[in-house]
Amino acid sequence: MLNKIQNLNYLLIFLVILISFIGAAGLYSAAGGSYNPWASRHLIRLVLFIFLAIILALINIKFIYQFAYIFFILSLLLLLSVELIGVFGKGATRWINVFGLSIQPSELIKITIILALARFYHDLKFDEIKRIKNLFFPILILFLPFALVVIQPDLGTALSIAMLGILILFASGIRIWKFVFGFFVLILSIPLSLNYLQPYQKDRIFSFLNPEADALGRGYQLIQSKIALGSGGLTGKGFLEGSQSYLQYLPEKQTDFIFTLIGEEFGFIGTMFIILLFLLLISVCFYISIKSNHIFGRILSIGVGSNLFIYVIMNISMVSGLMPVVGIPLPLVSYGGSAMLAIIISLGLVLNADLNGNLKKIHNA
Amino acid sequence: MFYSEDKKQYSVLNRRTFLLYLLKVSFFGIVGWRLYNIQIKDSQKYKTLSKNNQIDVEIIYPIRGKIYDTNNIVLASNIKVFDVYIIPENTKNINKSLNELNQIIKINFSDRRKILELSKKVKKFQKIKVLENINWSQLEKIESNKLNIDGIFISQDYMRTYQFDNIVSHLIGYTNKPNREEVELPFISNMPNLEIGKDGIEKSFNPNLIGKSGQREIEVNSYGRVIREISRQDSQKGNDIQITIDLRIQQYALNLLKEHKAGSVVLMDINNGNILCMASTPSYNPNKIIQKPNKEYWDSILENELSPLTYRSIQGLYAPGSTFKMVVAIAGIIHGIIDTNTKHFCNGKIGLGDRLYHCWKNNGHGSMNVSDAIKESCDVFFYEISKKIGIDKISKVAEDFGLGKIYDIPLPNQKKGIIPSRDWKKKKYDESWYPGETLISAIGQGFVLTNPLQLAVMTSIIASNGKNVMPKIIKQNNEIEFEKLEKYQNAIQIIKRSMFKVVNESKGTAYNSRSVSAPFAGKTGTSQVRRITVAERESEDFRKKEVEWKKRDHALFVGYMPVENPRYAVSVVIEHGGSGASTAAPIAKEIFQFTKNLKI
Repeated sequence: MLNKIQNLNYLLIFLVILISFIGAAGLYSAAGGSYNPWASRHLIRLVLFIFLAIILALINIKFIYQFAYIFFILSLLLLLSVELIGVFGKGATRWINVFGLSIQPSELIKITIILALARFYHDLKFDEIKRIKNLFFPILILFLPFALVVIQPDLGTALSIAMLGILILFASGIRIWKFVFGFFVLILSIPLSLNYLQPYQKDRIFSFLNPEADALGRGYQLIQSKIALGSGGLTGKGFLEGSQSYLQYLPEKQTDFIFTLIGEEFGFIGTMFIILLFLLLISVCFYISIKSNHIFGRILSIGVGSNLFIYVIMNISMVSGLMPVVGIPLPLVSYGGSAMLAIIISLGLVLNADLNGNLKKIHNA
Repeated sequence: MFYSEDKKQYSVLNRRTFLLYLLKVSFFGIVGWRLYNIQIKDSQKYKTLSKNNQIDVEIIYPIRGKIYDTNNIVLASNIKVFDVYIIPENTKNINKSLNELNQIIKINFSDRRKILELSKKVKKFQKIKVLENINWSQLEKIESNKLNIDGIFISQDYMRTYQFDNIVSHLIGYTNKPNREEVELPFISNMPNLEIGKDGIEKSFNPNLIGKSGQREIEVNSYGRVIREISRQDSQKGNDIQITIDLRIQQYALNLLKEHKAGSVVLMDINNGNILCMASTPSYNPNKIIQKPNKEYWDSILENELSPLTYRSIQGLYAPGSTFKMVVAIAGIIHGIIDTNTKHFCNGKIGLGDRLYHCWKNNGHGSMNVSDAIKESCDVFFYEISKKIGIDKISKVAEDFGLGKIYDIPLPNQKKGIIPSRDWKKKKYDESWYPGETLISAIGQGFVLTNPLQLAVMTSIIASNGKNVMPKIIKQNNEIEFEKLEKYQNAIQIIKRSMFKVVNESKGTAYNSRSVSAPFAGKTGTSQVRRITVAERESEDFRKKEVEWKKRDHALFVGYMPVENPRYAVSVVIEHGGSGASTAAPIAKEIFQFTKNLKI
């Protein structure tokens, strides 16, 4: 036990804490120079979730392996129950209350998807991967949560689930032509799916295409966030000096748009620093993956790293105008318990994989 | 179950992992490049945008200059009032906000329409005035409801106020919102809410009185709320203006005019041309025009057939009647047609062609020289001499004495009047001049029309021994030396002696108005407003009869005081006052006595 604690990947833990502290600084600034209401809770959650992640790291990996599908089914049920509450209750919702903590099942399901796929490919013989019938189960694992999230409707999360699935399937060695085929299917389905988009989602997509056309309306967020980033320049306006957020031009500055606040106050240097920290964190996940002796650990680490990557790239692309605003937080930096919990727990699993990387045999009969 | 040790699988996985990692790094590269473009390359553009986001320029309106009388008594100034404004961008729905405000204070329909119209035109976050000069109870009501009505705010402003209501109203004028053309004037270009002078001094001196607008840059948040002031350039108060009017005399004159429906009193200082009093009745109260709602008052002014907005002293045109005789006499003397000994016999009328021209005194004055003719205002004498002088020479002298001119004083809409001549008639009516018209003109009737200020100037020129006195309304401290008209010296001396007799010798037409305390000289005038019929003339007492007010003659008097080294010149015109002797001369006397007592 003690041995395990000593062998924890402290670089990973350090990176998580460092990024979360930068997040706390941003939240402190977003509140106009106050720990309340966001920064203090952000830090409390950090401590709590790190503790949880370490516990998760110390659990026997066999246990996690065995319960992988169970976890997936449980989180799928949770997602479904949110959906049912939405149908039979008071309108659409994405949240569920568990022990006083509002949890977004769509965040949790990403982790269980990773677990389920990791187990599936761990169990599958390499020769079997080629067979088309073995594509059925992974696609089902991806499609069920994807469909549930789409009808919520949460376009951003649905998109990130799809991307996560593609990245994991790619990593697990599926033939390239299958991806090419899937890509064409996707392209062809775009006009069809546009019909199913909610009006506000269409608005977002169209405003993304031409934000300046309606600066005070739909494109407002995007223009304001670009102004915040751009006006930061190389070195930024200084901590607590970001006028865009201070004057409340920045929408949702404490959640999805926290990156622009940091960009405004710390400039290009600040944004590059955060990006490098994330790249480092993802690299650590990949390193753990490569080092791992079993497929479960490999897919798990790659999956978690990819999930993190998707969050970061989507969020930064969104606030810098590379893609429509779809409502994806910046992990560990944005305020919000669910995403933070999901990210840190998933990193806890990576820590676990790291500790058990040398394990030859995961499943004993 | 099984061990995943297949070497081939691991090499595929390693390759895929590496590719995936490469993909991720390149995505980070794309995002990094994007951030470089925004934060480094286009930074300047976004910095400017960020600044515009936060900074709003607010115009600070200047305080309008005050207007003082000659003794530094304030005639026009500004008081602090509370106005209600609306910023359309701050409302969810401007109509809704106005409706809610309307429940507290009534906003009339046309104002409301104007506000809505303006709201489509003004720049972003510009304020629009909704209500002016609200009282305390209204202020309280709005303050307590303000939070419920979005876009509404109360601001302290200045409102023009006139201390003496109607006493100097014509002269000073009043302020109001600029109309469509006035908005384009250079001095108000950036101040759409500015009230500007619409008449009188207020209008003529708009560029001076308005001052310069200031501006402040304020940081505003996305809701348009002011966070702090960044820079401030204060507005410059408009220049104060001091006019030559002596409020005391002006007040006194208006008081004298009160007995009459319409008229004018002008008093000038002949040494410098300063107009000390230029009162016109009826007048209006500019404060009632400024304070909204003013519709009722405005309508009452417009419906009044005496037209209170007319400044009779400069805009009222009257036949000068016998006050014109000095000009004719001077013309006769300088052209050698008469001298002091020239006499004409008045039997009450003379004939010219097939018409008879009557003297006001039906049975005639007997033998008259120029002095007696002025003193007793004999018409026949002037008929006789005008035949010899001719209209063109008379009109030339009239113009030299300031008649038929618009003066260089800053008052809008002066009326020029008419000093007729052959050329004038040819141009105006394309008709040649009839000799009879010369006769009628010689007694200040017919075509001849002058305004009261012109008569005062004429009198000033006579009283000052031919100095080319020019009227002034703006007080200047430098000494003014008017050019002297040398050729009239001799004639003027004769005329002044005659004018003395008018007031101070028995049989003089204004003898009843002579003053012991303030001896003065002058000339009466009675100008017909209609032709007197033969039947009336034969009835002998047609002048004494009570005739309908509108048909009565205008009463005029011009004069100067003191007799030796005169300082003041006056003109009094009472519309339909009856006769100059009975109505106008007594007013002149009162004005002279009052002015003398002031010991200015």
